[in-house]
Amino acid sequence: MQLTIDHETVYRYDDTVSHSTQYLRLTPASSGHQRVVSWQLELPVAASESTDAYGNILHVLTLDTPHSEIRLKARGVVETCDDWLGQPETLPAPVFLRETALTEPDDAIRALAAAHADAMAANPETGLAALMLAIADAMPYTQDVTHAATTAAQALALGAGVCQDHSHVFIAACRRLGLPARYVSGYLLSDRDTHVASHAWAEVYAGEQWLGFDISNRKRPDRHHLKLAVGLDYSDASPVRGVRRGGGSEALQAHARVSEADQQ
Amino acid sequence: MHALTLPESGHYDEMLLDSGGIRPHYRDFARWLHSQPPETLARKRAEADLMFHRVGITFAVYGDDSGAERLIPFDTVPRIIPASDWQTLEAGMRQRVTALNAFLHDIYHEQHIVKAGLIPAEQVFSNSQYQPAMQGLDLPHRIYAHITGVDVIRHSDGNFYVLEDNLRVPSGVSYMLENRKMMMRLFPELFASHAVAPVQHYPTLLLNTLRHASAVDNPTVVVLTPGHHNSAYFEHAFLAQQMGVELVEGQDLFVKNNRVYMRTTAGHKQVDVIYRRIDDAFLDPLAFRADSMLGVPGLLSVYRAGGVILANAIGTGVADDKSIYPYVPDMIRFYLSEEPLLQNVPTWMCRRPAELDHVLNNLHELVVKEVHGAGGYGMLIGPAASAAEIEDFRQRIIADPGNYIAQPTLCLSSCPTFVESGIAPRHIDLRPFVLSGRDISMVAGGLTRVALKEGSLVVNSSQGGGTKDTWILEDQS
Repeated sequence: MQLTIDHETVYRYDDTVSHSTQYLRLTPASSGHQRVVSWQLELPVAASESTDAYGNILHVLTLDTPHSEIRLKARGVVETCDDWLGQPETLPAPVFLRETALTEPDDAIRALAAAHADAMAANPETGLAALMLAIADAMPYTQDVTHAATTAAQALALGAGVCQDHSHVFIAACRRLGLPARYVSGYLLSDRDTHVASHAWAEVYAGEQWLGFDISNRKRPDRHHLKLAVGLDYSDASPVRGVRRGGGSEALQAHARVSEADQQ
Repeated sequence: MHALTLPESGHYDEMLLDSGGIRPHYRDFARWLHSQPPETLARKRAEADLMFHRVGITFAVYGDDSGAERLIPFDTVPRIIPASDWQTLEAGMRQRVTALNAFLHDIYHEQHIVKAGLIPAEQVFSNSQYQPAMQGLDLPHRIYAHITGVDVIRHSDGNFYVLEDNLRVPSGVSYMLENRKMMMRLFPELFASHAVAPVQHYPTLLLNTLRHASAVDNPTVVVLTPGHHNSAYFEHAFLAQQMGVELVEGQDLFVKNNRVYMRTTAGHKQVDVIYRRIDDAFLDPLAFRADSMLGVPGLLSVYRAGGVILANAIGTGVADDKSIYPYVPDMIRFYLSEEPLLQNVPTWMCRRPAELDHVLNNLHELVVKEVHGAGGYGMLIGPAASAAEIEDFRQRIIADPGNYIAQPTLCLSSCPTFVESGIAPRHIDLRPFVLSGRDISMVAGGLTRVALKEGSLVVNSSQGGGTKDTWILEDQS
């Protein structure tokens, strides 16, 4: 199916920023799952393009004249299918076994992992699906109770969170069970208007392949999902990560709209 | 005459033979020493302390609540190494550093050594020092560790053993240089009577190595320091000044269009080679630790695009990690098809159940180290530890076996050293510095650290160690 994406992120600052640098992971790569038909970034100045450690397309944006607003626009058309084969891999899977600050397990996560160890050993796919549902049950989707720096352990203790938190808990539990797991940031075509179109899910390396799990939606990712970037956790894969000098406090506005392209 | 305490038998003394005689390479020095009135030598020592204070070579001690900087004590008895010993050491270190660079290139590319089954994959890829950002990246001349400090000790059998390799941001070379300057100033007559190999050209060799690391003609080199709060700030400033290059902090640099620029009073200037004295985790707050105020936002992206050289490369820590150390002799055989010239210390890996049992049953006679520890922190020296300390460590090892390795308690050689009671043997190690550029270059020398406490085997300056000038005697034949 063809998805049309329209994503705008605006940062407004109370004071003038003298210098800022952003890492942008706002451009999807083509793969067996998705073919990029067209894609444009609209940025305040031209950015340099490269790929990062995980094979994501990375733009580095440097603003070295005073500014009090940064407006980032990404839009394009991508054709997707239900299949996730043919993902290009740049790193050995065991890299995704390492803990990060956001995914460090605590006793509760270790217990959650242990409770699914037998099912996982018997059949990884059904075991992982059970783990996904257990996390979705334990942490009903709730906005504004967590933030970008909330850890997996904190979110599980809260018993609530958003897709980022669900993915972090899932990843932490999988790694605990010896399965390489990674964070995916992307877009989701959803029939519910209330749902945020910017989305996150997880992938687990089991049986010599990467399997996706969309914990928040209690399902396996399909043609409604469009992958932007992967990483060990949110901080590696986040669409925008920046550092600035000055600026005071910041207000962020982000709108992502995903729609099905007009059938010709 | 000086009150002289003789070494206990059973370990190697650099100056004295078991018979009480003096080793040939120390004879001229010993004769000179005994001809010097104790008051003269005491005055010279006081002079050295005063001058070191003036120069400002101080060292902030971690874990010292006062946060005070203090001098690293300097001992005026040199550690003398005969030419034949140095030839062994030099050849062994060249071989070792060549293999370590080959290992780093391999694991960040094809991983032949893992596929050959010599090192388990998870030992490498789950190691926090393995940097995914380096995977597949091609570095000029395949050099990762441009500067290596190899810690070597001499055991009671008279042989040298490598204690550890330092491939991240090895420090201490400024002490090697300042100690030599001090000895030449205090005792010029000794340098007339001994053919001591020079070390003063180290900054020139370092600058050549750094310039060679870049494909740019006439590259601009800078030294990147975390700032004056860092314990080695003196050294960063010293080396920049000696090389005639800028000393910068992260905030002096910025990234644009896949290049790194330095802010100067005359505008922006492109930087081609960064001799960075900042750990990987702090280099780029957009890629590593977001709370780092020391790094340069965007640096990793420029580095990956080939727009700047970092010395040392990112991710070298995976080769000097204590969990990888036991495999270095295998690396030498695998990459160079040679037998190691320098020996490793036998090491038990607690992550292996059988070796863990051995370690837990023999804690009283082993040295146990944290895999990721450094600077003499977080280690147990069994023979010197109390029963309570051993029990405490036992629990820590059981809780996280993979985090520990153990080694036999080595008998570091001793060297006569000035102490309150006169001259007495104190244990020493040696850190020579190996530069990898167009070829491998070294100055004949290194930093000798000395454990000033009687019987102590911990030479780290953070743990009360001192330093000595290190003399490599040139062959007179």
